[in-house]
Amino acid sequence: MSLWMHEARLLMRSRIVLIATLLLTVFTGAAVVTGLREISRQEGAIAAIPAAQAEDLAAVAARVAESQDAGTAAYYSFHPTWDAPAPLAFSALGMRDVSPYMLRVRALGLEAQIYDGETFNPELALPGRFDFAFVLVFLAPLFVIALFHDLTSGEREAGRLHTLSSLPHGGRGLWFRRATLRFALIWLALSGPFVIGALASGAPIVGAAAVMALTAGYLLFWIVVCLLISRLRWTSVANAAALAAIWLVLALVLPTLANVVINRTVPVEQGSEIALAQREAVNRAWDIPREETMRRFYANHPEWDGIAPLPSTFHYKWYFAFHQVGDEAVADQVLAYREGLERRDAAARTLAWMLPTVGVQGMLTRLAETDLEAQLAYQDDIRGYHERLRAFYYGYLFRDRPFSPHDFQRAPKFTSRG
Amino acid sequence: MSPLLLIASDELRLMVRNRVALIAFALLVLLTLAAVASAWSHQQHAADLRARHQSAAEHAFDAQPDRHPHRVVHYGHFIYRPLSPLAAFDPGIDAFTGSSLFLEGHRQNTANFGDVRQSSLLIRFGQLTPAFVLQTVAPLLLIFLGYGVLARETERGTLRLLLLQGVHRSHVVGGKLLALGAVTLLAGLPAMAGFALIAGQPGASALPMVVTALAYGAYLALWAVLIVFVSARVSHSRSALLGLVGFWVVTAVLLPRIAPDVANAVVPLESRLQTDIAIGRDLRRMGDSHNANDPHFTAFRQSVLDRYRVDRIEDLPVNFKGLQAIEGERLTSDLFDRYAAEADAAQGRQNQIVRTASLFSPPIALRSLSMAAAGTDLAAHQRFLSQAEAYRFDLVQRLNQLQAHGVSYADDSASDPGADRRKRIAADNWRQVPEFDYRPATASELALGALPGLLVILGWLGLSGLLLIMATRRLGDR
Repeated sequence: MSLWMHEARLLMRSRIVLIATLLLTVFTGAAVVTGLREISRQEGAIAAIPAAQAEDLAAVAARVAESQDAGTAAYYSFHPTWDAPAPLAFSALGMRDVSPYMLRVRALGLEAQIYDGETFNPELALPGRFDFAFVLVFLAPLFVIALFHDLTSGEREAGRLHTLSSLPHGGRGLWFRRATLRFALIWLALSGPFVIGALASGAPIVGAAAVMALTAGYLLFWIVVCLLISRLRWTSVANAAALAAIWLVLALVLPTLANVVINRTVPVEQGSEIALAQREAVNRAWDIPREETMRRFYANHPEWDGIAPLPSTFHYKWYFAFHQVGDEAVADQVLAYREGLERRDAAARTLAWMLPTVGVQGMLTRLAETDLEAQLAYQDDIRGYHERLRAFYYGYLFRDRPFSPHDFQRAPKFTSRG
Repeated sequence: MSPLLLIASDELRLMVRNRVALIAFALLVLLTLAAVASAWSHQQHAADLRARHQSAAEHAFDAQPDRHPHRVVHYGHFIYRPLSPLAAFDPGIDAFTGSSLFLEGHRQNTANFGDVRQSSLLIRFGQLTPAFVLQTVAPLLLIFLGYGVLARETERGTLRLLLLQGVHRSHVVGGKLLALGAVTLLAGLPAMAGFALIAGQPGASALPMVVTALAYGAYLALWAVLIVFVSARVSHSRSALLGLVGFWVVTAVLLPRIAPDVANAVVPLESRLQTDIAIGRDLRRMGDSHNANDPHFTAFRQSVLDRYRVDRIEDLPVNFKGLQAIEGERLTSDLFDRYAAEADAAQGRQNQIVRTASLFSPPIALRSLSMAAAGTDLAAHQRFLSQAEAYRFDLVQRLNQLQAHGVSYADDSASDPGADRRKRIAADNWRQVPEFDYRPATASELALGALPGLLVILGWLGLSGLLLIMATRRLGDR
């Protein structure tokens, strides 16, 4: 034990070690605070929905009060959906800054609504966010390099290496103690602020422990790289240069290169084609016999068929039917679009097995539920909710039941996964 | 040969002999070429795709059958943001904003289908473009090649020998700088080849390209000077390497991420949901065209009746419903413009904060400058959005005019079986609607947008030049 204490005292005497540890702690702390702030801002925005929504819905209710028309009610009322952040979201903001986490939908065609975005400043999003994932993936390796590049070469340059090598087992115990202490220092600098953040956001122990284990694993990877380079018996400065070059390749060059390759080999161009095709399908209804639309609608939704015939004048049930038929007309493209996105994501995840930088980023955003998978899950939630909304309004429309303003309270409420 | 050239060629010979340096240099050249090729083909592909979508959307609009004009207001129009030729060098925020915008009556939609939501998580690691390679990767390579130019000589005591032999300090430093400068020039050349490719494109203008080339040249020169300066000031090459890599990490990786987060915290943006609800609230206060007793629209109706000197809207020579639609659209569009201006101003304030941070980070300054000159920054996107909104307003009002003058009030209010046919106007009206024609910023506007960043970089270059001169005077004193 005294040997460990001795090594620790020796380590703390080095100015570079002290400064590096302090700096990393400050960076991690700042990143955790930034992440928590952003998440609490998003939670605040979600919490503000009901008040704003009540006001908006009251105006629609006033309009519906006279006509008691379910079509008017369905056409004018927006219903909010939201994607509540997972407890670990603060540690890896992922796509939450560029994808909407709140979206209001109407019972009209969903394909014209679901791809809408949120207001964000693209110039601020471009460099990426300063969160725990960034500190871990990009900065932590540099601190590992700073503390490990001269582990043995420093002793050689100081002329002590031969003496140390003549210790029992070639001084293996000494190197082990030194490496372990340095590793523990960096790991604590990262984990300390993270644990405080995880406690503050009430993250589950298993998830937080997984992040800490991931942190340890990633640090070990870089330590192994450092030790492998040091076996080449170069000078400290050559070690540092080589390690920084490896960092550059793993953290910046290969991921950007892979992005180009993936986006090229898996083209995803259906997005705007869905929008164009859905609009065409929806608007065509005005130019074809209404019965044709209703036939197509009833074919897929027999539960609404044969209740009440379509009157000769405008009726909202025809209007909503052609919106739904429009959505269904592009179902294949929607599926292809989604599969394209998932194939891109899967390709990146395959790559993650070979690139630890990408792997750690991917696993962190998965644990934080801020990745593409989470985005698609939110879209699924919206789709499910929209389906319930349609069924709710159709219950009035297709049965010709009057819609009173109080009926809005019976409308299905969105529930988030969280 | 003068001592200056002798020292420079000696340093270059040493770099060539250093196998790691040579491999790193070769990798940078390959990376740049890959970036040039991929950004170029991506730009061509995206521009082509958008042009194809645009022509499909225009064709679909023109091919509409006879319709009621208000149907066409809701049918709407799709427009696609064209990609500037310089986006092949620096695509800027292109991937982070949607490129497709749906224009319709009474609503302002978001630009959708941006690459950032359609790509894997890799996109957040950065994008492989010539701009990225030169801004971020090239300085690090120069550090690897140059950290030791003087520190190594100091460390080994060879610097003192040189000075004792009567070599002038400025020749030593100048020679080293010359060698590193030559390498810098070589490293920048492949990216410039991409530039030549772009220059041949239609729509590429010389002035912003010259400013961009100048700025990148000054930026890389700045790094070369800074590296030689640090190498001259420290006595160990390892301190030079750690110090320079540290400076690179802070200015090229850390600050570019911290500054936006500060900007986001200082100037919060209103969410789309809140904005939509606020617009709805304002609209209800201003006037509700669907409410028969609404004061604004009652007054409006009276003013129309007065203007035409009739008592009943049925007696008007024009379709009152069309006039009402025109007035309604005017009200909503005013609100859209006001809220869009507020949001733009808030984002502008955010960017101002980042611009202030660029005083401390040449990479941020260069990034802003490069995007501004390429027409791929936020200002360019806002320019597109505001032109799109102007076009949307014009399109909708044109259709409302058609309703006011092409459909009679009696037909418009009728609901008999034949009414639908009578409400429609001829299909050739749609073909008369002018197409959206995006007017990109002029060459001088682009260059002007790049000016602040250029000044920051030149300021840094001047400052580090001064520092290097001062360091030269004290070279070898210790």
